[in-house]
Amino acid sequence: MLESVSQTLILGVLVGALYALVALGLSLVFGVTKFLNVAHGELLMFGGYASFWVFSLLGVDPFLTIPATLIALTLIGAVIYQLFFVRMVKLPEESKIKNTLLVGFGLSVILQNLALRFWSADDRGITASYSSAAFTVLGVRFPMVRLASLLTALIFLLALHLFLRKTYTGKAIRATVQDWEAATLMGIDIHRVYFLAFVLGAALAGVAGTLVAVNYSIEPSMGLNWTLKALIVMVLGGLGSITGTLVGGLLLGLTESVTSLLLSNNYREVVGLVLFVLILIFRPQGLFGTKEA
Amino acid sequence: MKRNALLGIVLAVLTVVVMACLPLVVKKDSILNLLILVLLYMVLASSWNIIGGYAGQSNLGHAAFFGIGSLVTRLLWVTGWPFIACLAAGVVSAIALALLIGFPAFKLRGVYFAIGTLALAQILNVTVGNLLPEMSYNPALADYQLLPRYYLFLAMAVITIGAAYALVHSRLGLGLKAVKGQEDAAESLGVSALKHKLIALVFSAAFAGLAGGGFAFYHVSYYLNMPFSPLWTFDPMMMAYIGGAGTTIGPIIGSVFFVLIKELLVLKVGAYHLVIFGTLFILVVLFLPGGLVEAWEKTRTALKRWTRARPRGPVATDTR
Amino acid sequence: MLSIDAVDAYYEDIQALWGVSMEVREGELVVLVGPNGAGKTTVLRVISGLLKPASGRIVFRDRALDKEPAHKIVALGICQVPESGRIFTGMSVLENLELGAFVPDARRERERSLKWVYEIFPRLQERESQLAGTLSGGERQMLAIGRALMGKPRLLMLDEPSFGLAPILVDQTFEMITKINREGVTVLLVEQNVRAALELASRAYLLENGRIVGQGTEQDLLSYQSVRSAYLA
Repeated sequence: MLESVSQTLILGVLVGALYALVALGLSLVFGVTKFLNVAHGELLMFGGYASFWVFSLLGVDPFLTIPATLIALTLIGAVIYQLFFVRMVKLPEESKIKNTLLVGFGLSVILQNLALRFWSADDRGITASYSSAAFTVLGVRFPMVRLASLLTALIFLLALHLFLRKTYTGKAIRATVQDWEAATLMGIDIHRVYFLAFVLGAALAGVAGTLVAVNYSIEPSMGLNWTLKALIVMVLGGLGSITGTLVGGLLLGLTESVTSLLLSNNYREVVGLVLFVLILIFRPQGLFGTKEA
Repeated sequence: MKRNALLGIVLAVLTVVVMACLPLVVKKDSILNLLILVLLYMVLASSWNIIGGYAGQSNLGHAAFFGIGSLVTRLLWVTGWPFIACLAAGVVSAIALALLIGFPAFKLRGVYFAIGTLALAQILNVTVGNLLPEMSYNPALADYQLLPRYYLFLAMAVITIGAAYALVHSRLGLGLKAVKGQEDAAESLGVSALKHKLIALVFSAAFAGLAGGGFAFYHVSYYLNMPFSPLWTFDPMMMAYIGGAGTTIGPIIGSVFFVLIKELLVLKVGAYHLVIFGTLFILVVLFLPGGLVEAWEKTRTALKRWTRARPRGPVATDTR
Repeated sequence: MLSIDAVDAYYEDIQALWGVSMEVREGELVVLVGPNGAGKTTVLRVISGLLKPASGRIVFRDRALDKEPAHKIVALGICQVPESGRIFTGMSVLENLELGAFVPDARRERERSLKWVYEIFPRLQERESQLAGTLSGGERQMLAIGRALMGKPRLLMLDEPSFGLAPILVDQTFEMITKINREGVTVLLVEQNVRAALELASRAYLLENGRIVGQGTEQDLLSYQSVRSAYLA
């Protein structure tokens, strides 16, 4: 009994880190540009497919496909930004959020159906040679793939944190979030900052997609569910905080795991959504964010 | 202005008469099925337009009302109730759902409302799929006739569009416009934003539930959670936008346009019709918020200016 | 160094500046005074490129500014200390200063600039790693000025740096501005505190309701009723 509880909690943590990475890109983009790109899940999906094809055609270790995913999604993100989002930079905040929501939604339709056309509706997954391997410690099973995913997620979370803290560009991004006019007066090109944030967000979505392909499966219509997961984590962890995103992800992962233990596996999805709606109604700034909705 | 409205109504009545007489001339089932699809989309797009276009509240959970209407109608019908009673029950449950989610949902402003309703609809989608995973079979399979279903959908479309038209021209419609434009300003003028939004949502839900009932009547067998799929929100929403959100004919044009493109492309290229539609949607949001209706208006004004300017000589007709 | 010629500026449809013309020569400390709402901040915003003029020209060291994007204008050597400083409260004092030296030319010399700023404002060095949001009003002002200095400005513009400060801090601030000017930085100072500002300036302009209504030395400006009444206030 204790074993299955600890097993559940461990799996919850492992999954939670993945969720945090999924949310990280969207949180970064929204925090900096106030664009709510609801096609985030579709970008994740494309990342998954990029990894899948590199894996299938070249036979490399799935985690080594990540550079390919990063490159692919950086390019896709850049194109999407220039085509659709760049015009909305100057809008006032409320219509910016509303219009980018709609544009993002249209984009998700486009991307979903392009994927459907290119790769068919079949489920795809990446099965590494060590997919079934696991460490067992005190009767609790730690699957290799999930551990490697946890590690990858933590690496990217840390990398982003260091980038934002230690580099000039990272500081410029943080400054833009706080006061974009003052940032302009420092000589910071806001347009470049927006572009960079968006492209970074897309790249992070891509990496998350790789992890999803390895841990679960991918198919063209998966986007919406992962976008919702990202939104849930963002709302749980509050905006503008990498730590918050991590905690939010872990919270979601653990809540889902506990629910599947107590109720049934079918309700994993639902509990996150219910939590989401409740927090939206009672505390939209999340558990960490400042009251600035 | 009045003349245009009268012309519009005459045209509308004519169209309905033509469509009602159509089955006498056209015998092919495939065409009737296509028309039913167009009519279904018209109802869904028009009903979404009431809350999304007139009231300006982007409801991303419209499929929930469609779904609940179809669910209740189908379940009751399968147990042997007369169909009209089932349909009524479907509409009532959609209204009940609207009231239930309306109060908490409208506490959320702007984008929070949109993603909140999306989440709520997904909750229903997944839960229904969990509780009722089996496929539903039509009990009266042997007596399946297409014609009554065609007329049912035609009637639904007429009722929905007629009600939407009446709504927008009523005092309630004025209130909705005020709320859409500037909610706080409207409140200060004594227009209860919550009341108006709720009423709009109830109407929107009722007609979506009606469509759901029609769906349940029409399909022979389907998975009960299928109508809860977010596609049933997104496609109608795109149709309303591309046609012209906030107008009465917008959703009509949009749904016809959608099915037309779909049929044209299926012959050639396959699943690209949604890619094109998605692109058009984005173009509308970015450049032409009034949709095809606005495009038409602009073309008409441009044509008028051009024909008026032509007989003149080199002297410029408009000064800046 | 900087010349503004017949500039009109609008916020949406509302005109804020009418035919404003000003000049700042190298090495000067020029002051722009005027009552609340006259448009002084607008003038600075137009120079910095945050607001594009509807007509007129702005030339800085033989280069037309009116079409340049704001961030490029900073790179050309114009740094502004905006109204109320607008420091990045969520970042440390040091990070704020580093950001001041964002443009490539300034970034190369940031070590030296930092030393210079710490000389002028030793308090900032003490509080180097503190979050800017925890500083007192006077310290924030120091940080804002220091941050602008990190950009190695050829022209330093300050928007009401004395605002909200205790009188003794006001004197200190003006002392520092004079010192900075003496070290070779050209200064354009916008102030509502007419009396104190006019003591520093070589020249001054008077802006009222979006128009330049007077210019000259302190003596010249005293001939204006509004200036005199401000002195008596």
